[in-house]
Amino acid sequence: MSRAWRAATWIAPPLFCLWVYWLGLKTWFYQDDFAWLHLRFEIPERVSFWTALFAPMAQGTIRPLSERAFFMGFSALFGVDALPFRIWVFLTQFASLALLNAVTRKLTGSPVAGLLAPILWTAHSALAVAMAWTSAYNQVLGGCLLLAAFYLLVRHIETGRRGFWIGQWIAFLLGLGALEINVVYPTLAAVYTLAAARRHFLKVLPMFLPAAAYLWVHQHLAPPASSGIYGVYLDGALPTTLWKYWEWALGPALLERVPLLPGWVVAAGTASLSAGLLGFAAWKLKRRQWIAAFPLAWFMIVLGPVLPLREHVSDYYLTVPLAGLALLGGWALAEAAGRNWPWRAVAAALAGVYLVSSLPQARSWTRSRYERAREVRKLVLGVAHAQRIHPGKPLVLLGVSDDLFWAGVFDNPFRLVGAHEVYLAPSSDAVIQLRPEFGESADYVLPGKIALTALANQQIVVYQAGGRRLRNVTALFEEIAARLWAPEEPRLVHVGNRLFAGQLGPGWGDIEGRHRWMSRDATLRLGGPTGPGQSLFLGGYCPAGLLAQGPARLAVAVNGQRLGSSELRLGDHRFELEFPLPDHLVGLPVMDVRLELNRTFTPPGETRRLGLVFGIVRVR
Amino acid sequence: MRKLILLFSLIALLLSAALVSGGCRRQERTRLEVTEEEPPVLASVVHVADPAAAAQLLKGFHGLEQGSWRWTAGSFAVALQPPARAAERGARLVVKLAIPDVVLQRLKALTLRATIDGTALPPETYSRPGDHVYTREVPSSLFTGKPLVVDFALDKTFAPGGGDQRELGIIVTTIGLEAK
Repeated sequence: MSRAWRAATWIAPPLFCLWVYWLGLKTWFYQDDFAWLHLRFEIPERVSFWTALFAPMAQGTIRPLSERAFFMGFSALFGVDALPFRIWVFLTQFASLALLNAVTRKLTGSPVAGLLAPILWTAHSALAVAMAWTSAYNQVLGGCLLLAAFYLLVRHIETGRRGFWIGQWIAFLLGLGALEINVVYPTLAAVYTLAAARRHFLKVLPMFLPAAAYLWVHQHLAPPASSGIYGVYLDGALPTTLWKYWEWALGPALLERVPLLPGWVVAAGTASLSAGLLGFAAWKLKRRQWIAAFPLAWFMIVLGPVLPLREHVSDYYLTVPLAGLALLGGWALAEAAGRNWPWRAVAAALAGVYLVSSLPQARSWTRSRYERAREVRKLVLGVAHAQRIHPGKPLVLLGVSDDLFWAGVFDNPFRLVGAHEVYLAPSSDAVIQLRPEFGESADYVLPGKIALTALANQQIVVYQAGGRRLRNVTALFEEIAARLWAPEEPRLVHVGNRLFAGQLGPGWGDIEGRHRWMSRDATLRLGGPTGPGQSLFLGGYCPAGLLAQGPARLAVAVNGQRLGSSELRLGDHRFELEFPLPDHLVGLPVMDVRLELNRTFTPPGETRRLGLVFGIVRVR
Repeated sequence: MRKLILLFSLIALLLSAALVSGGCRRQERTRLEVTEEEPPVLASVVHVADPAAAAQLLKGFHGLEQGSWRWTAGSFAVALQPPARAAERGARLVVKLAIPDVVLQRLKALTLRATIDGTALPPETYSRPGDHVYTREVPSSLFTGKPLVVDFALDKTFAPGGGDQRELGIIVTTIGLEAK
């Protein structure tokens, strides 16, 4: 093998990756990215540094390296410039490709297989999420550390050098901070040593101890959900879920999303690729090359932790497991290349089926994510510009589509660029899908009456999204808003927001930050419930001083009728109280709400008698 | 392999240094998206795919599809510039719309109503799929020199299902006021 060919086998996979996912390198932030980007701003007021780094967040995940430290570190250096984040993601993936190349060479003895395995892995469309969404860096880093640990194990077995052994431990332990599924590494190491290096089997067993400790801590800090989209179901659905992942892993089944494609084409593609891969592995096993079972074991073991998530079957979970099948596929192709033409033809045909079904999807999904992020960038950085032109004025947005809302509004990216009061225009949530598992779009909408008053008082600026740029349409809306927006009483009052001041009666203090203190009693006005079974929600903060003489009691009345009362026992804690609303209030245009505390207190250095701190009152 | 690892490490180190050293400056230089502050010039006819006309789509329009059309929600509204001499002669409201077969299979028939400043225009019911044009006379009395706000309402909507729970009504390509 010439020097140039050798170099090419290492350089070709990263170049191929760049070609397939080029737009991923230029993709801006969207969705969860904004929650992670904001994390560092919550230190130390809302959370401590250690809580930010290690507390379970986002469906109970704890990924200090791949999410918390990555986003906090890079955003501290680069703010909302996504390019450095993306370059780092690609560099990590290039390292993974080199590791898969090296591992494949070691296991198969074939440089051609080493070249093909990372290319087959890269070609799979399941990688599009990881390569075009910064929040999915956990998959990239987790995969890299898993491959690194395994490569170092192989090298240790090969050379006996202690440095590789220590390196393997470090990569394994770091991997636990990147992605939960790395907890399976000791199982991978055990299976590998059983298949290829039995005298090392006992040596890898101690790695199960930190894995078990990690599982125990994880279970303790973030118990798995028993229901809902992230519910863990150890039931008869596991084989069905596994089959679904197997179909997707081979490629053709992902074409089911392409309209007008006959079902038999997909089934035939899946069957032929299954026969090719499993047949090759069986042939090798028959010749007592036990290592041929390892790539399949990799796929099964690494996929194992997500199989019980039957309500959340997602192709992006295939990112790391696919490395195993790519290894087997690369090996099979390399073997076929050295045989007579019928084998070469069969191998080429199967590779063609795989690439035709995966590669175009990988590129088109990357493009769609890039385009989505481009719209989000236009909105967020447009809002930043608008806020500079109109400092201190709340901004109201029109023309936000469903996709733009969930990708670029819901996680409140505007606070990252200094815009803290950004609302959707009245009734603009009609085009936004309900996703109660995430939150309510209605929370982002400025009620019609508030918007009309604020517009008349020149307190807000209205912008239209969805065009080439964000466009100021305040002048147009000053003419037409009264004909468009219904002046209904709001069913949501942000007590500490000046736009809502007109809804408040006596008993409230001045705005402090985003809140107001209430005295012993306070009143406000809200629209009535829109249907039966709705409740009045109160959200705020209970100072410890109020509870110095024992629990405090807050009573709530609507239109003079007592709704109930609630006892507050936790000092210096947020509270959220719910009072069911009687059905006879349904449809009332206005309700007078009265809040009454059984005591007040005077903090040191104050002269006022104070009660609770309020943030929000709403009907839902 | 060792050489390769060294090479990768060196590249990563150099890139890290470059990224970090440039970090603070880049953060300052994050380019904002310039907004258009001039009030929009309204058109009498709005093509829903035209980015320049986005400001006239006031509510109830979903995102652009295939670069040429939009789904509406059950209620939608546009702002239109009155055509020349509309205050004397009135104008004609023209909506170019389409109703896919799959929609009418579910809903059987759809009725579209238009209202201008509280004045309801005669509704129309569609029970056949395909392209349609909703045309109504707008009396001159409704033109006061201000932009016209036309509110539309459908009597039924549907959700596509399969993860897409959007409230969908009809497909619209163009809404406009034609001079008489």
